[in-house]
Amino acid sequence: MDYYVSVATFAALNVILALGLNLISGFCGQVSLGHAAFYGLGAYAAALCSVAGVPFPLAILVGVLVAGIFGIVVGFAALRVREDFLAIVTMGVGFLFLGAVRKQPWLGAEMGIAKIPSPLDKWGYAALAIGAAVALVVLSLHVRRSWMGRAFGAVAQDEDAARTIGIDVAGYKITAFFLGTAAAGLAGGIYAHMTQLIIPDTFNFIQSITILAMVVIGGIGSTIGVVAGAILLTLMPELFRFINDYKLLVYGALLLLVMRFSPGGLAGLLQRLGLRLA
Amino acid sequence: MQIKSGSRLLVAAALGAALVAPASAQTIKIGFHAPLTGFAAADGKSALNGAELAVEEINAAGGINGRKIELVVVDDQAKADQAVPIANKYIGEGLKIVVSGSYSGPTRAAAGVFQKAQIPYISSYAIHPDITRAGNYVFRTSFMGEVQGRAAAKFIGDIMKKKNVTLITLNNDFGQSLSAGFKEAAPKFGVKVISEYTYAMGDRQFGSIVASVKRDNPDMLYVSGYFFNGGPLVAQLRAGGIKTPILGTEGFDTHNFIKIAGPAAEGVMITTSLDRDSKSPAMRKFIDDYEKKFNTPADMVAASTNTAINVAAAAIAKAGSDDPAKIRDAIAGTKDFQVSTGKISFNDLGEIYKAAQVQVIKDGKFHHQATIDDPQLLAPPMK
Amino acid sequence: MYYAELLLVGLIWGCTYAMMALGLTLVYGLLRILHVAQATVFTLGAYIGLLAANYSGSLAVAFIAGAIAAGALGPLIYRFVYQPILDRPPFVALVASIGVLIAMEDGFRLLFGPYGLSFEHNTWFTTTYSFAGMTMNLVQIWMVVTAVVLLSAFAIFATRTRAGVAWRATVSDPPMAESFGISVSGVRYVNFLIASVLAGIAGVLVGLLNNLVEPGMGSVIAYKGLAIIVLGGLGSVPGTLVASLALGVVESYGTVFLDKVLDRDAIAFLFLIVVLMIRPQGLLGRR
Repeated sequence: MDYYVSVATFAALNVILALGLNLISGFCGQVSLGHAAFYGLGAYAAALCSVAGVPFPLAILVGVLVAGIFGIVVGFAALRVREDFLAIVTMGVGFLFLGAVRKQPWLGAEMGIAKIPSPLDKWGYAALAIGAAVALVVLSLHVRRSWMGRAFGAVAQDEDAARTIGIDVAGYKITAFFLGTAAAGLAGGIYAHMTQLIIPDTFNFIQSITILAMVVIGGIGSTIGVVAGAILLTLMPELFRFINDYKLLVYGALLLLVMRFSPGGLAGLLQRLGLRLA
Repeated sequence: MQIKSGSRLLVAAALGAALVAPASAQTIKIGFHAPLTGFAAADGKSALNGAELAVEEINAAGGINGRKIELVVVDDQAKADQAVPIANKYIGEGLKIVVSGSYSGPTRAAAGVFQKAQIPYISSYAIHPDITRAGNYVFRTSFMGEVQGRAAAKFIGDIMKKKNVTLITLNNDFGQSLSAGFKEAAPKFGVKVISEYTYAMGDRQFGSIVASVKRDNPDMLYVSGYFFNGGPLVAQLRAGGIKTPILGTEGFDTHNFIKIAGPAAEGVMITTSLDRDSKSPAMRKFIDDYEKKFNTPADMVAASTNTAINVAAAAIAKAGSDDPAKIRDAIAGTKDFQVSTGKISFNDLGEIYKAAQVQVIKDGKFHHQATIDDPQLLAPPMK
Repeated sequence: MYYAELLLVGLIWGCTYAMMALGLTLVYGLLRILHVAQATVFTLGAYIGLLAANYSGSLAVAFIAGAIAAGALGPLIYRFVYQPILDRPPFVALVASIGVLIAMEDGFRLLFGPYGLSFEHNTWFTTTYSFAGMTMNLVQIWMVVTAVVLLSAFAIFATRTRAGVAWRATVSDPPMAESFGISVSGVRYVNFLIASVLAGIAGVLVGLLNNLVEPGMGSVIAYKGLAIIVLGGLGSVPGTLVASLALGVVESYGTVFLDKVLDRDAIAFLFLIVVLMIRPQGLLGRR
């Protein structure tokens, strides 16, 4: 039972991370290869607060805000550089975050932060993570249908055209980065309290790629597709435990094959079968 | 492609069986997770070899009270977030004891889960100080980083009689804790740290550090790292014309280090727990048997997991029961137990005291150089 | 003197990056793909080179074997991975490329073992030359010479030969090039061939420098290669060279003087971010 609870909690955290990235990359078209940095920012900020005695809900909130504020900063960078340049800049943000945390004694450097207070039990974290994931699904579906979602879509389609019809491109880009990174910060805060130990390596480039893979395999832009992608990729190492030795081989091959044969991800695959997903 | 040894297949089959069939009353299952894939796969391989050798020899000697033991092996990719579900899975399958053959991240994350579930958990070679602080069900059979760093300071000051030392530190939990221990103990032995340079896990080119060491001109170098980055580092120091004596750490304790560093490895010393010239029968037997079985010389990681499995097996035998609480008490009561890494006893925190070995590389092989046996200096923390 | 030696170290690192980044620039210039899987080509070159060297005892054979293996793999990746998805959004090719990298990294581990392999007789590494208090080994000298020779050869190819002109025409305007009778598909294969051979040779050289060939040896250099081509101004060949050398030098000083604050990768990417915020089109890129 504990096993299923822990897997479900991690799946929910991954859904939060993937939906956050989907807001930025799927809805607003801004490719980010550094999403794990914001996951880490949220985790570190929340952990530092909790260790300093700040109450749990407030600590989580601080994590969300810190990640979101740094997200806004990166959003400003996205006004300056575009597309492939932006992809590499966000990748750089990830490396910069990691490289800086590794060297800061007050962040525990490589030892990370240990003995983070844990106010909930495993059911509590599961409920919190799943609740947050569901809330984010609802938010995503709502944003997609709202005026904001349409504006995001216009920015994603053609920035210059969007600007000529009077859409505040800069404002929407920054909003997308704020929402997406704040979601990552929320996942980080929950993760930190649940495992009670965070180390820099958890938030590395591979983690960023894994989150991107969830979005892309699910179907970039499709909320339900991305949820499915996140759950599938969380379960995959669990399902494939018996092939210990070939796990990464299978994982890499899966990324390749999905892109090769169904670039729209799971959502695209279903669409071709005549089903439409939100 | 020679991927799977027969025994690995057996383990895989056993794992498969464990998933479908309830555990048979006859065998005793020991959980074992290690980084079999990903960046740490090299250590994962040695870790698994060392553990498998222990299981094979225990079973060949009749098992535990007539029952065979069996490893339930899982890959954790050295990732902390994979370790929590793995730990829960072991608990769900009803395992009574688990050994970590992995790094600090996953081991620390799993330790909390096992402590809560009251399942004994032994860390073979992860060095994060907080692992055993997860609680009284968690043990460690290797040195903590700080302790090994202190031993190094004593060796350089007392035995080598060197004063000015430059540290080249790997920037991870292992390197940082070695460096902290070294710097803490250095003044006691008249050793001065004149400079410290750090590098990252993935670095293989060290030109700027070599140039800096040349300028600083220390009497001795204390270098942390693993064979795959320490090997190139030592080779580049020597190729850069630096003849300063080098003291490395147990991360270099594998013949792969010698293969990579080549002639530059000659004369390099390391602190470790494996003494190649040991007269201790347990250590001797491990070194010989390992080389015979795997056709490659033993290393520190393999010796550590071998030790942990032997500690686990002895405790189960002593407890005479599958009750996790009784097994825990038996582990805690381990006293002067002779294993491949020396004679070990646990303190109240679940840490061990043992003498540190200094080995030197001569003619492409590790040999005894000195033993640092100082119970006060090398005492692990009590809480 | 110390500062001069750090500069020299940085330039050697820069040459290594240049051999890798030039190929990435070629691929990007032609197809707008961030070719992360170049790291796989690089690693294969290193493994095959090492096996050839240990088998034959000759480093010349090693370079030829490494270059051939890499030269074969690159165009294959183009044919079976990129070509079918060329008309998709750019992230599709990027994710597919990352998939190749992850899968092959594990593939190398399964094929050649997790510990990595070393050269049995790495005479170039142990042959050192000292001048003015600085020491270089033969591999480092060869790294610089190879980079200079191959990159000059490429410059001559691009500007002085018919094939080179056809290549440049295809980069700037594929339909126009096609209408002049240039085989665009042929140019793409040649493009991948050149990029891959460079990566393969770089792989053998890096293998010799580290005296270690390991499954993951390509990834860091590939990520940094991407940073370099962006820094240089995507698709700009001279920009790539300038960026490679600049990054090598920044890292060389940075790893010593920013040691307490940032690690090597972070220094490289901080440099990238700062430059791009000032010049969003990269060092020598056009707007």
